[in-house]
Amino acid sequence: MTCPPDPSRRAFLSAIPALTAGIATPAQAADAQATQWGMLIDTRRCIACQACTMACAMENATPEGAFRTVVATYAVTTTEGSTGLSVVPRLCNHCEKPPCVEVCPVGATFKQDNGAVLVDGDRCVGCAYCVQACPYDARFVNHDTGKADKCTFCSHRVEAGLLPACVETCVGGARIFGDLNNPDSEIAKRIKSAGDGVRVLKPEANTRPNVFYIGLDPALAGRVDGISAADMMWRPDHHGG
Amino acid sequence: MEFGKRRQLLAAGGLAAFAAGYSETAGRVVGKLLGRDTPKHRTAGNAPEPEYRVDAHGRIDINPAQQVSYTVCLGCTTMCGVRVRLDRASGRVLRVSGNPYSPLSTDPHLPMKASVRESFAAISAFGERGLDGRSTACGRGNAVAQQLDSPYRVLQPLKRVGPRNSGQWEPISFEQLVREVVHGGNLFGEGPVDGLAALRDLKTPIDPAKPGLGPRVNQVAVLSSVNDGREGFARRFVQKSYGTLNFVGHGSYCGGSYRSGSGALFGNLKTMPHAKPDFANAEFILFVGTAPGHAGNPFKRTGALVAKGRAQGKLSYVVVDPVLTHADSRASGERGRWVPIHPGTDGAMAMAIIRWLFENDRIDRTFLANPNVKVARAAGEPALSNATHLVVVESGHPREGRMLRASDIGVAVPEDQRYNDADAFVCIDPTGRPVPHDRAERPAELFVDRAVEVNGQPVRVKSALQLLREEAERLSLADYATACGIPAETLAGLAQELASHGKRASVIAHGGMMSGSGFYNAYALMSINALLGNLNWKGGFVANGGGFKDDGEGPRYNLDTFPGMIKPAGTPLGRNVPYEKSAEFGSRKAAGNPYPAAAPWFPNAPGLVTEIIPGGLNGYPYAMKALILWSANPLYGIPGLRQRVAADLADPRKLPLIISIDPFINESNAFADYIVPDSLLYESWGWVSAWNGVPTKAMSARWPVVEPRAAKTPDGEAIGMESFFIALAREMKLPGFGDNAIADAGGTTYPLARPSDWYLRAGANVAWQGKEPVGDATPEDLLLSGVERIRPLLETTLKPEEVAKVAFLYSRGGRYQPGKDAFDEDNTEWMRNPMKEMCHLWNENVGSSKNSLSGKSNRGCATWREPSFADGTPMRDVFPADKWPLLLVSYKSALMSPHSIGATRLLRLHPENPVLIHPQDAERLRLRTGDSAEIATPAGRISARVMVHAGVAPGVAAFEHGFGHRELGARAHRVGAAQQPDNARLAAGVNLNDIGLLDPTRRDRAPWVDAISGASVRNGLPATIRKT
Amino acid sequence: MTTTVEVLGFARGPDWLPWAVQYFFLIGVSCAAFFLSLPGLVWRLPRWRMPSRLALLAALISGLTAPVALMADLHQPGRFINFYLHPNFGSWMAWGSFFIPLYVGSLLLYAWLCLRPTLERLARQGGRLEAAYRLVAYGGHDSPRAIGLAALSASLGACLLLLYTGMETMVVSARVLWNSPLVPLVFLSTAFVGGIGMTLLVAALSGRRDVAPALNRGLALALAATFVLLAAWFGGALSGHSPVAAQAWSALASSRPWGPTGLWFLGTAVFTLWLAVRFPRSLWPTALLALHGAWLLRWIVFIGGQGIPRMGNTWFDYSIGIGPDGLLGIAGSLGLALFLYIVLTGLIPWDERAEA
Ligand SMILES: Nc1nc2c(c(=O)[nH]1)N[C@H]1C(S)=C(S)[C@@H](COP(=O)(O)OP(=O)(O)OC[C@H]3O[C@@H](n4cnc5c(=O)[nH]c(N)nc54)[C@H](O)[C@@H]3O)O[C@H]1N2
Ligand SMILES: Nc1nc2c(c(=O)[nH]1)N[C@H]1C(S)=C(S)[C@@H](COP(=O)(O)OP(=O)(O)OC[C@H]3O[C@@H](n4cnc5c(=O)[nH]c(N)nc54)[C@H](O)[C@@H]3O)O[C@H]1N2
Ligand code: SF4
Ligand code: SF4
Ligand code: SF4
Ligand code: SF4
Ligand code: SF4
Ligand SMILES: [Mo]
Repeated sequence: MTCPPDPSRRAFLSAIPALTAGIATPAQAADAQATQWGMLIDTRRCIACQACTMACAMENATPEGAFRTVVATYAVTTTEGSTGLSVVPRLCNHCEKPPCVEVCPVGATFKQDNGAVLVDGDRCVGCAYCVQACPYDARFVNHDTGKADKCTFCSHRVEAGLLPACVETCVGGARIFGDLNNPDSEIAKRIKSAGDGVRVLKPEANTRPNVFYIGLDPALAGRVDGISAADMMWRPDHHGG
Repeated sequence: MEFGKRRQLLAAGGLAAFAAGYSETAGRVVGKLLGRDTPKHRTAGNAPEPEYRVDAHGRIDINPAQQVSYTVCLGCTTMCGVRVRLDRASGRVLRVSGNPYSPLSTDPHLPMKASVRESFAAISAFGERGLDGRSTACGRGNAVAQQLDSPYRVLQPLKRVGPRNSGQWEPISFEQLVREVVHGGNLFGEGPVDGLAALRDLKTPIDPAKPGLGPRVNQVAVLSSVNDGREGFARRFVQKSYGTLNFVGHGSYCGGSYRSGSGALFGNLKTMPHAKPDFANAEFILFVGTAPGHAGNPFKRTGALVAKGRAQGKLSYVVVDPVLTHADSRASGERGRWVPIHPGTDGAMAMAIIRWLFENDRIDRTFLANPNVKVARAAGEPALSNATHLVVVESGHPREGRMLRASDIGVAVPEDQRYNDADAFVCIDPTGRPVPHDRAERPAELFVDRAVEVNGQPVRVKSALQLLREEAERLSLADYATACGIPAETLAGLAQELASHGKRASVIAHGGMMSGSGFYNAYALMSINALLGNLNWKGGFVANGGGFKDDGEGPRYNLDTFPGMIKPAGTPLGRNVPYEKSAEFGSRKAAGNPYPAAAPWFPNAPGLVTEIIPGGLNGYPYAMKALILWSANPLYGIPGLRQRVAADLADPRKLPLIISIDPFINESNAFADYIVPDSLLYESWGWVSAWNGVPTKAMSARWPVVEPRAAKTPDGEAIGMESFFIALAREMKLPGFGDNAIADAGGTTYPLARPSDWYLRAGANVAWQGKEPVGDATPEDLLLSGVERIRPLLETTLKPEEVAKVAFLYSRGGRYQPGKDAFDEDNTEWMRNPMKEMCHLWNENVGSSKNSLSGKSNRGCATWREPSFADGTPMRDVFPADKWPLLLVSYKSALMSPHSIGATRLLRLHPENPVLIHPQDAERLRLRTGDSAEIATPAGRISARVMVHAGVAPGVAAFEHGFGHRELGARAHRVGAAQQPDNARLAAGVNLNDIGLLDPTRRDRAPWVDAISGASVRNGLPATIRKT
Repeated sequence: MTTTVEVLGFARGPDWLPWAVQYFFLIGVSCAAFFLSLPGLVWRLPRWRMPSRLALLAALISGLTAPVALMADLHQPGRFINFYLHPNFGSWMAWGSFFIPLYVGSLLLYAWLCLRPTLERLARQGGRLEAAYRLVAYGGHDSPRAIGLAALSASLGACLLLLYTGMETMVVSARVLWNSPLVPLVFLSTAFVGGIGMTLLVAALSGRRDVAPALNRGLALALAATFVLLAAWFGGALSGHSPVAAQAWSALASSRPWGPTGLWFLGTAVFTLWLAVRFPRSLWPTALLALHGAWLLRWIVFIGGQGIPRMGNTWFDYSIGIGPDGLLGIAGSLGLALFLYIVLTGLIPWDERAEA
């Protein structure tokens, strides 16, 4: 294909003022104070397609092989001899009581008012103490940036009125993101209607996660007793996996 | 104070070690000083700025540094509509997600009238619209964008240096490429090679003794993969302009057996119509050898709807598969269950279900009894079957196995129409009288077994339904259970479940049918649908909505015919025509017994890549002189083919010219003489409809949203399939290309000299299809969707009134019928785009055909046949279970497709494909997860690592397909002076096809294919396994 | 029983790299060695004069190398300043950033005060470096009070370092191998194993077999204490009194690389104890074995402890690389230590015999 040198850019820029007019507050931050972001994952709707994993990696330009979220996949055989597939999409839980925040020697890891636990890249010294402290293996040191890295709830998108990348692209529609404090939000409604069916990972860690699950097998909520086939397949070449 | 030499040396050594060990640290300290550690964003790491912002009122603020465009993904054959987000300055793709207008990525999809701006809001957090409106790309769809920047891409025409498959190439100019492939000559210093011009001999017969083979031009074969929206263009060149008959896609090694089985049910074994469950409204689906949410086409749409249905809807389903896949979900409990089966025995399961339905009288009599459309409509049925139509069963009768026709019972039919479509079928009306089916006014007799007077002679006939029942009753439920390994209670339970949901239940199959009994397995499974009467019902078994035709004789431009157009003729190289009509048959019959043929013929199959390559190399039915591989990789995809043909392909005397058009060097085109770069993913033009599974019309637009990376032709076009064919046509002065090649409805002509000449006009056809043309794109639509980039091209190519409409399509990534149009306006329980073909419970084409090796008749209805070789010999007769205890199957990777290995992000997550075996087998063989084992079939052996768990049937070893590459980066080629980088990761794992079987009953030792469909056999390969 | 196979998953690699092992090892060694320097140099027990001097050398070498290793374990070493600009005193590590300069500064001061007479003597001997010696000797007084004060400060620093390194590890409840109250104590006892080992090594290098019995006695004590602590840990793990320890034990025991490594550690430690008791005059073997034990324990705790999956069941299969984050890094700190040893012993005679 041949195209004349891109005249669109100028046209584009000149059209911008018209497009921009009226931008004020981002879409969801109407009542920023009260907003508490959370995620609900309905594992019944998860097909382990890893779209979330890959979208997160592309969106956040993480180093190859380093994941902020991943959908662990299990073949589970019961005592009765039936075998089935279980999934556990994992990411940072943006805990209510985040151990990662306490240990950070320089206060680089912090919890925003809206609930997101973030790392201030200007401050982080890359000591990885927070990585040790997270009970969920949610963190790693990003070897491109040299800083602690983890799921940000895609704060840069959310504050732009967009959804997190993993939610946008969740093929099964398993991931729901929204304001836990708003009773009319989808996430609040679903959590309410699921009642006791809602679980979190490693409740015993007392971190009070803000990522919730429907259909989570309690046996897979933390360290799993079993065999890892991933073990033999997944070979890191530099740490930080 | 002592600093002796030795100490100095030690101190220096210590310092050196220190310096080396701390070099990185020092670098980081310096990095800090230079400010290199400053994050791109304080808290978002290296994430690029969002592509746009949405405020509390839903207003959009665009990020001018990025572009968001709607086009098509090619990460697998689903070809979803996607949204490509790129950095304008670098042209780099940042991320890909779904196109909200496309039903392949969104449910429910956005109406076309929504502006591009609205489409941006629809997937945002604004009003939480993006939760319901989310539009997705799968894991592969996200990662394949990486391939655009792959170091293994072919960006310039390559010519081999040294012998074939030696991995050495020289880059050549486009002009040299065209000159050499057209005019031939002593191209490689190995002697003269005929060029395409010389090979285009439309007159001289290949063999004067066998004129039926056609002219010599047929000795040029073109193999492609799937219609990626560009096939119409390619066919115009290859068939209508150049003139060869042999242009064939990958169907025979994709899901050929399923498609043939479905084609048998719907009465067309060439186009092989097929339907899909209405996932959104079904109550029960039996998936047999197709894995929703794991693979399948459409992958995402099926996965999403099934996941939604089992969690929140009414759907429950059972997946019958030797392997546990992502189709299963423990969290969904009884809503989704996995039932393991012995490979290749689905026909036994299906016939058991059919038997149960008959025995318990749970067949849908209301549907089955209608002999024609009128009666059907009156009975409230949107579809039809031939259950009541009569079949000649009189032994030895010349029409045995064929349908009884109206002319047989004395209806006047012009002689040239006799036994054609105009010659109606016959059924028995309620008074017991034989009547032509089209004249029947009431439901007809379902079960008929009697004599009918034909030309004064009584001829024994049976109704199609009667034949099916007898066939099903041949074995008991217990026998079927033994054959397929599913307990008889389970079989009965499945049948009951299907029957109890009736029209809201269906049976679907696909890749699992690629076994040695594939055709009949698929036919049997599809026949269940007819017995359920679910066709065209909401929640039942429904047709694809199809597309909006782009390349026919369209409302704006005639992209079909042109002066000088050629209608290729002759015998297809794949022998998918009746042996009995060949000259060879005639002469051999005259000489005695015509059977067996030198190699099997497949009258009930479409074009067969499986047969073309070995046949063309073998010279049967004729020799191939040139092979063009366009984005196809049969040596990787067809079990056994590599063992069979690699040496022959490497020999230019056996096949003088191989040209490939592909963005990469794959396992097949590594043998090519020339490789022409092709456009990749979002670089291409095209118009592509959904393969199936979308009840509404959908036509996705492909357009170069990124500048193609390939080198340019002298005309300034990126080199690719289109520009190459245009140049070939020009060089050979072929019709259908160049000036005045395209006519509009008024007869005015236009040139076809650039790819856009074709695709933009095809777009105009798409825009004007249907009752009224689509709307106009606004200037803002163009800006926001990046279509502004190609506006000048639209303006110079199209008529003024067409520009905004075609731009409208590009801005929305295609044309999509609204989701609510899925259902019939008058009867919302019926589909609006119905499957028009009748269900054939007896298929006379199959029923009247013979096996060309054994001369035995084929059965014309569903039946259970154990996996067999081409002449009908059961596989187990040759390779008994005591010697070859294991059966190998393969299943699609949930993450990889056969060509996605270069998406290294995917590979990092799932780096190889251990072979899956059951704990029982593992224990017997003393294998543990991670061990390496040697897996041997009668055709070869490979070494693989094993994974042990109970997610596979005992006695089966399962290969995840998509790994075990030798090319696509797994081998570093030398291009000119440059050596490609080594990346051992891309060679990870194993490919089942490397040990695919060669058929011992065939004299030509070709790879094992199903005797009826000619489709490759990749499931149920006999094998042994031992620890190494 | 339900069986579960993780078909797809992944583990995180350790983000505290061999550097961290080096740091925890060296800083423990330094603190312990520093304490060994007190009887001879502060309390001036004659029998300890020589061992303590050597211990001071050991403390200096490891004490100077340790912070450098720590810096390297930061992925943003250039930003260490943030420790002081934005301290979060809720974090043990933040405190550590203040304890390190306190200790290292005091240690240097203490060493200098102890060495002043020697430096003065060197200055008087003349030679090329006379002026430098004189300058550094700064009068060359032996000032026991000042030494005492500096030692007090360094002791405080050393105690705090031993406390914080132990606590920093112990409080990580997310790591089952770390989250035990015994960890700080084992770190302490093995710090002495390593400190004595390092002193023995320095002695071995200067051929002072005479100091061996005293040091080996100390080594035996430290090892014995370590065994008691380990026994307590295993007791908790095996009896189920400590569920965390039980989890850690079951994970490590079932791990292909870490099970044998643990056994090797125990075996060599028992052997070291036996040697130290049976051959109190042995120098090289106990020196190297003691260092090996102290290092290996930290390797197991840090690298092994980070390998135990916290989610799922995929292990991080750590294999040490040759780059700066692996062997080269270890070689780098050893290189620095060697360099310091050569410079310090080249500039200053530590062996009294040479002083005469
Ligand atoms: N054992 C086993 N074998 C199988 C299967 C299995 O499940 N198991 N699956 C079978 C199935 S279903 C199929 S469909 C076949 C597939 O087999 P083929 O149809 O032969 O196709 P692929 O190998 O997917 O890809 C063909 C070529 O397309 C090129 N390509 C990739 N992306 C693009 C693009 O964007 N543009 C262009 N122009 N070219 C591109 C690649 O370089 C590759 O060389 O394999 C079959 N083989
Ligand atoms: N993730 C992913 N999705 C894809 C593709 C991909 O490569 N990757 N490719 C696309 C293409 S080209 C196609 S054609 C479709 C195919 O989609 P599917 O038909 O769903 O996939 P296949 O893996 O070919 O076959 C389906 C299942 O058949 C099972 N099977 C094997 N032998 C037998 C048997 O004898 N009987 C039964 N009942 N089952 C058996 C396999 O274990 C496998 O799980 O998927 C498309 N979607
Ligand atoms: S999951 Fe881990 S990283 Fe995330 S907030 Fe909780 S403790 Fe911190
Ligand atoms: S790595 Fe960064 S965020 Fe984590 S604890 Fe250290 S300084 Fe804090
Ligand atoms: S919210 Fe964003 S950062 Fe977090 S897992 Fe999803 S995509 Fe990744
Ligand atoms: S994208 Fe959604 S469905 Fe796919 S793996 Fe992630 S959570 Fe599961
Ligand atoms: S299903 Fe196939 S076409 Fe659709 S996004 Fe995934 S890889 Fe692309
Ligand atoms: Mo396919």
